[in-house]
Amino acid sequence: MGIGWLVIATLLASAGGVFGWLSIRKGDPGRAAFVWMLGAFAAQLMALGWRGALRGQCPLNDVGEICLFLAWSMTFFYLVTGTTYRLSLLGTFTVPLVIVLQVIALVPGAFDESPVRAEAVDAWREFHAAFSVLSYGALALAAVAGFMFLVLNHRLKSHHFKGGLVHGMPSVHRLVTAMGRITLVGWLVLTIGVVSGMKMEGAGMDGHLLVATATWVLYAVLLGIYFVRGLPGRQLAWGVLILFVVSLLVFAKL
Amino acid sequence: MKLVCVGLNHETAPIEVREKFALTEQGLDRETRALLEAEDVGEGVVLSTCNRTEYYAVLNGKGDVKTLEEWICTQRAFSGSLEGLFYYYEARAAAEHLCRVASGMNSMVLGETEIFGQVKKAYQRSLERGATKIVLNKLFQRAFGVGKKVRTQTGIQEGATSVAGASVELAEKVFGRLNGSTVMVIGAGEMSRQTAQALQSRGASSVIVTNRSFDRAVDLAGEIGGTAVPFDGWEEELEHVDVVIAATGAPHFVVKPRHIEAVRRKRKFRPLIMVDIAVPRDIDPRVGEIEEVYLYDIDTLQEMADQARKRREKQLLLCEDIIREEIDKASLPAVNE
Repeated sequence: MGIGWLVIATLLASAGGVFGWLSIRKGDPGRAAFVWMLGAFAAQLMALGWRGALRGQCPLNDVGEICLFLAWSMTFFYLVTGTTYRLSLLGTFTVPLVIVLQVIALVPGAFDESPVRAEAVDAWREFHAAFSVLSYGALALAAVAGFMFLVLNHRLKSHHFKGGLVHGMPSVHRLVTAMGRITLVGWLVLTIGVVSGMKMEGAGMDGHLLVATATWVLYAVLLGIYFVRGLPGRQLAWGVLILFVVSLLVFAKL
Repeated sequence: MKLVCVGLNHETAPIEVREKFALTEQGLDRETRALLEAEDVGEGVVLSTCNRTEYYAVLNGKGDVKTLEEWICTQRAFSGSLEGLFYYYEARAAAEHLCRVASGMNSMVLGETEIFGQVKKAYQRSLERGATKIVLNKLFQRAFGVGKKVRTQTGIQEGATSVAGASVELAEKVFGRLNGSTVMVIGAGEMSRQTAQALQSRGASSVIVTNRSFDRAVDLAGEIGGTAVPFDGWEEELEHVDVVIAATGAPHFVVKPRHIEAVRRKRKFRPLIMVDIAVPRDIDPRVGEIEEVYLYDIDTLQEMADQARKRREKQLLLCEDIIREEIDKASLPAVNE
């Protein structure tokens, strides 16, 4: 079935987005997006299995695979944290990002059609790639929670209560807590990714690892300030959003 | 066998008249027994709340709504004008009216939930005294089912329709559950009491009351189970509170940005919701510019309450449809047989 799994995952995520927004309009976000995203997650796993079997290693070697892995990682963290913090609406905000990533992966040429099968596998390199991308799934989700916070905060501060969006959103407190905790989880996973990178065969401080380390330090500073000194929700939200977008852009440039 | 309902409420009778017909717990017991002993009455339920007194009865023989009305006026020794005072419903109309009442559609605050429990209690009292039989038993059971359906399938009880309720709704939007939260009340008037109690009813565990007259702060704190602090000490308490309700009669701002700025670090920039229900306002509007502060004044809260009322009114047609459908489906003696 191959790439068909990715098409199915994209269709399921799109359905989740549509049903999620319809639910918001009714003022009851419920679990509409959650169920569809669960289906999308299963299809993503199948697609990753297809690429992994072709590569004989963790499928993180071309644009298509990186996008697919990131989309899977975001969906994974959404499914785990979304239910834990009862942030089912988070799914509706996560879906557009997941769809964009999967559509990029579906563009012809994104996947290497005849990937070279790995003969030997460097475990540290595999760890580095997998945990780094996995951490970006969590950090992306934190950025989504940050975006949700900014929308809700703006509405509450400017007294715009009309529409189902404010009604269906989690509370300010819950979003701030989720932002902090999801970022912490992402940072911990990134720590494994960075440490693994330093242990790779022939690893030196190349640009890639330097950016990863700088990102790790900046997130550590943000989390330190938030957990030790305290930080207004708006600043935390901008922090997780800017750090995620900037670091992603820098990685894309490398 | 005839099902009838005779009653008066806030729409038909002024408070001076409603007071004459209102019944205490003991009064309701006596009235229920007396109703059952009245001529031509086979079954009866008496409902009495602050806004309505209603008699649901099954009449045999020649009895009708007029004879029941006369009986009620005799019981209450009422000799005033009856013009437009009572409303009467028979058979299906009586059943539909009971469903409206149980659903909160007939209440002063549209969609309020307390009436459901009051109707249940009235029915229970009659049931225990043997004053209900097949007609009223089936009717009231059905009405409770309809009441639940109306509340769950429509938006009749959504949104807060009072200033105090709107304050609670906003506090929940910021904090989620209010369990364990601390409220500070500045000013010890009626609005302060109502808002603090509304927050307590949703889980706020601690209330600090402050007022220029310390005695009044102590009185209000005693009444709502809070703690009174002298007026010159409220600023230190800001560090621990999650919600501030300001309702003093001061002609100038009581809470200024510097008060909040002084405790921001100590609070670790936790969200703070501030409700200003005073006119003139107690909280300087610049306080709302502080990032973690959510400030709302009386106009915003009133507007929220008005919008909720309008939304509820729009649900009435939907509620009526449910009631009609449910009565059609039911097999109720003396209603649709």
